[in-house]
Amino acid sequence: MSLKAKLLLLVTLSITVSVGAVAWLIETRAHEAFRHVEEERTATLVNQFRREFEHEGVEITRGVGAIAGSDATLRSVTELANGAEYANYVNQAATDAAAQRLDFMDLIAPDGAIISSAHWPARFGYKQRWFLDHLAPLPQQTFLRHVETPQGSVLAMLCLRTVHVHDLNFYLIGGRKLDAVVQSLSPPEGLRVAIFSAPEQGTGEMIGPAKETFADTKVASLVQKVLEQHGDASTTVDLGPEQEEVVHAISLPGFTDRIPAVLLVGNSLEQELLLEKRIRNISLIIAGLGVFIGVVVSGIVAARFTRPVKALAQAATEIGQGNWNVHVEASGEDEIGKLALAFNQMTEELMGQRERLVQSERVAAWRELARRLAHELKNPLFPLQITVENLLRARQNSPQEFDEVFQESTTTLLAEIANLKTIIGRFSDFSRMPTPQLQAVDLNDLVRNIVQLFQGQLNREPARIRPELQLGAVPAVSADPVLLRRVVENLVLNAIDAMAKGGTLTFRTFAVDRFAVFELSDTGAGLTPEECDRLFTPYYTTKQHGTGLGLAIVQSVVSDHKGSISVTSKKDVGTTFHVELPLFQGAATIESGNGRTGSGAIGS
Amino acid sequence: MKRLLLPLFAISSLLLTAAGTYGSARPRYGGTVRVLIHDKVASLDPLSDEDHPATRDRMAALTFETLTAVDAQGRLRPNLALSWHADQTKRVWQFRLRLVNFQDGTVLTAADVAASLSKSNPAWKCSAPDRQTVAIEAPGPIQHMAELIALPRYAIVKRETGDSGSAILIGTGSYKLSQWQPGERFQFTANEDYWGGRPFADNIEFQMGASLRDQLMDRQLGPYAATELSVDQIRTVEQNNQTVVTSRPSDLLALVFLQPETGGKPGKKPVDARIRTALGLAINKAAISNVLFQRRGAPASGLLPQWLTGYEFMLGSAMNLERAKELRADAAAYVVISPIALAYDFSDPLAKLVAERIAVDAREAGIIVQPYGESHINSKTARSSINADAVLLRLPLQSVDPASALSARIDDLGLFQESTSAILGAARPEDLFDIERKLLESNRVLPVAHVPQALWLNSNVHNWQQLVNGTWQLDQLWVEGAR
Repeated sequence: MSLKAKLLLLVTLSITVSVGAVAWLIETRAHEAFRHVEEERTATLVNQFRREFEHEGVEITRGVGAIAGSDATLRSVTELANGAEYANYVNQAATDAAAQRLDFMDLIAPDGAIISSAHWPARFGYKQRWFLDHLAPLPQQTFLRHVETPQGSVLAMLCLRTVHVHDLNFYLIGGRKLDAVVQSLSPPEGLRVAIFSAPEQGTGEMIGPAKETFADTKVASLVQKVLEQHGDASTTVDLGPEQEEVVHAISLPGFTDRIPAVLLVGNSLEQELLLEKRIRNISLIIAGLGVFIGVVVSGIVAARFTRPVKALAQAATEIGQGNWNVHVEASGEDEIGKLALAFNQMTEELMGQRERLVQSERVAAWRELARRLAHELKNPLFPLQITVENLLRARQNSPQEFDEVFQESTTTLLAEIANLKTIIGRFSDFSRMPTPQLQAVDLNDLVRNIVQLFQGQLNREPARIRPELQLGAVPAVSADPVLLRRVVENLVLNAIDAMAKGGTLTFRTFAVDRFAVFELSDTGAGLTPEECDRLFTPYYTTKQHGTGLGLAIVQSVVSDHKGSISVTSKKDVGTTFHVELPLFQGAATIESGNGRTGSGAIGS
Repeated sequence: MKRLLLPLFAISSLLLTAAGTYGSARPRYGGTVRVLIHDKVASLDPLSDEDHPATRDRMAALTFETLTAVDAQGRLRPNLALSWHADQTKRVWQFRLRLVNFQDGTVLTAADVAASLSKSNPAWKCSAPDRQTVAIEAPGPIQHMAELIALPRYAIVKRETGDSGSAILIGTGSYKLSQWQPGERFQFTANEDYWGGRPFADNIEFQMGASLRDQLMDRQLGPYAATELSVDQIRTVEQNNQTVVTSRPSDLLALVFLQPETGGKPGKKPVDARIRTALGLAINKAAISNVLFQRRGAPASGLLPQWLTGYEFMLGSAMNLERAKELRADAAAYVVISPIALAYDFSDPLAKLVAERIAVDAREAGIIVQPYGESHINSKTARSSINADAVLLRLPLQSVDPASALSARIDDLGLFQESTSAILGAARPEDLFDIERKLLESNRVLPVAHVPQALWLNSNVHNWQQLVNGTWQLDQLWVEGAR
């Protein structure tokens, strides 16, 4: 990643994090404020419910008390106590309940038998003893309890009164449905209220105008928790996309310790969520704008700072690629400018050192050449000198033998001069390497010819060398046949020299991709890694009488053929030369083993 | 002179008082008698499938007469037929007709009677050997043919087609229909040429469809001569020293299980027989009769009341909650017990109470009964399309002859039609008992209570005759202050 990209990323991240942090802070504060308001609203509604509950309780108490204290009731109860038939009073509860606007009213005999029931007239005669079996004193205030009706169990606010006649207690239980209290509530917008009625038997149900909206598994588990723990609890319910609600569950005590109902107050978080969404949107817009402005500004700034750095990097790259003549523009007096100046100084210094190094290498090369020449020329010159001195000595000391000596000396002189010419020719060849005339060459054929040619040298006793041909299917290579033959011959001669005690010389050919490979492995003494490294250096040799140009010429020829040569060797095991040559374009594979070439393909 | 004047004054005062008393007790012609009834009736045709056939028959009796009749004491008497006799097989009966005119002035002939009876009972072969004699040939012996044809469905009706294509029904009764609004109001006008003499009242007007509670209020406020009462209202009205006429417990309140083959909705799964029996054992009939019917009703164990047959006490069994629970548990081991939907007459508050009490009692035995109100449960046609498993029916007692009454009840129930010939052929009460016992064995009908008919009468109404089975005879009805 470039420096500019890093700078842009850093600026973007910084702006985003900053805006995000601010947005989070605002959102948190807004959330706290909303929760505070929500708690106040819930408390207000619960207080309203309690007031309505108490008011309704007072009404019910007054109504039931009025019935219990009325002359008609006293008369009826007296008659009943005196043995009047219950059947005559079967409709009395309904009449009394209607007069006092009560939903429920039971007139109950001392033994708990229902004499008259307003809400379930058909239930006369059945026993109702839940309050008689209650050990504590009967409550004077209203209480919550489920009342059995033909339609099922109904949650009611009840009031119980006793009418005492002739040492007998008759009971009046009257009340109203609790949903009337819930209906009378007027919750502000965003608040919902319902009551979960939990009868002793069967499943519970919701009461109230908002009962449908509390149908949620989380609310159900909240209610269950309140019923079991006898305490209040709250939960947040997800009502859909961007609609959440805090639901408070408040237990409502009943006639016994069992909780008969739970007040549910739902406080919509819609406004809060809307505000949070708005904050998020604004934050996103600010962040987006900030990022845009940051990118533009940081882009400009980064461009200003990174341009000289980029120029320096480019210059360094060019130097790496060998172009030393590079100059960086110093843009100012700052650190970047100083860096550019330092870079320029460094390159100038490097260039000077390079010039000096080239000069010294050139001198060293000349010295090496001079040493080689001196060494090579000194060997034939010494016999020449001896021979000439012998001639001079023979003329002076024994003129009768001079002719014989002269004859021998001239032969020697000619031989040494020929030797000198050979040495000079080699140097001349190296300096004037001919340009290869490329054509399709059957590599396998070439190898077989050379093996045939060197058959005599290979079979020389006692250092007999056994040639082994492993020639694969190799297409024609693009090569100059004369030069290529010289390459192979050179390598074979080197191998023969390496195997003074005889061995095996393996010729191997095969094709890899668009190249033909020729490998020659001997089983000679092998080379050290250092020798391998310097093997293709001109004038380097490991032999007593080598010029050190053979393998240098081989490498030069292979290189002129756009090929490559490498060597691998292991001491006391042998050496392998690996030559890769490009295939001739359009060449066909040449069958191995029979010595024939693909006639139609080569050169076409 | 003074000594003579004082006795003369006293004598004349006594004579005037006596004359006034005699005048107020003597029937008077004229006036309109307004009657409030609860049920709504659309047609007076005795053969129409009405929601409330008993109410229809009460009104239709003013216009359409039967060959025989039963008087207030329950005795059979001639009506349109002067005499009758049967062959030895009791299969062929001949009725000698009275010389009577229809309300349109035409003479009632044996052919008219034969046509009417053939329509009432297509199984009968009715013929007119002569102008005044009607012969009825039944498929089987009928021991009580004279009582049977006193049933309202055998009323003699001359059916004609009007100009507009509508059916015109003409009778021979003491009143003829003068104005009608089906389901709301029927007005009958005195038949001046009635063979029994012109009735006293000029008009009798029936106002229909008011609730019983409203009717009670209207009675106190309006100019009505009579109002139907619900049984639970009797006590309140009596406590106010008002005149209440009550029949014997004649109507049968029964829980009838509907099955597809017996008039129920096709495809309806019948209630398991064990559950039916269990429900019958769980119902506290005594509580229903004593409390809901204020001891005016009687717990029912048979289709006909004890006072009529004398054998009802031998039918059925007493409430046995433990046995009901056992049967219910036994059934639960083999079948899935679904709640029983019990339909009751939507317009009858007392029926609702009884249905709810049955549900309460059933719950004690572990059987769920769900009562709900239906509008047309008394119509056999409508009954075949309701979703209920059972209905709570109130069936009128159409005759005081046990065989005829049982035959009519079976017809109203729409069940056990195959027993009709056996019932009509029964010569002894023991035969009827056996038949009824077998009918009740299946528990497809659970008798709950026998309920009386109750009527409040205004003090200015006289000779309102209500028979023991609750039917009315209004020929001699008259009102004070008419003219």
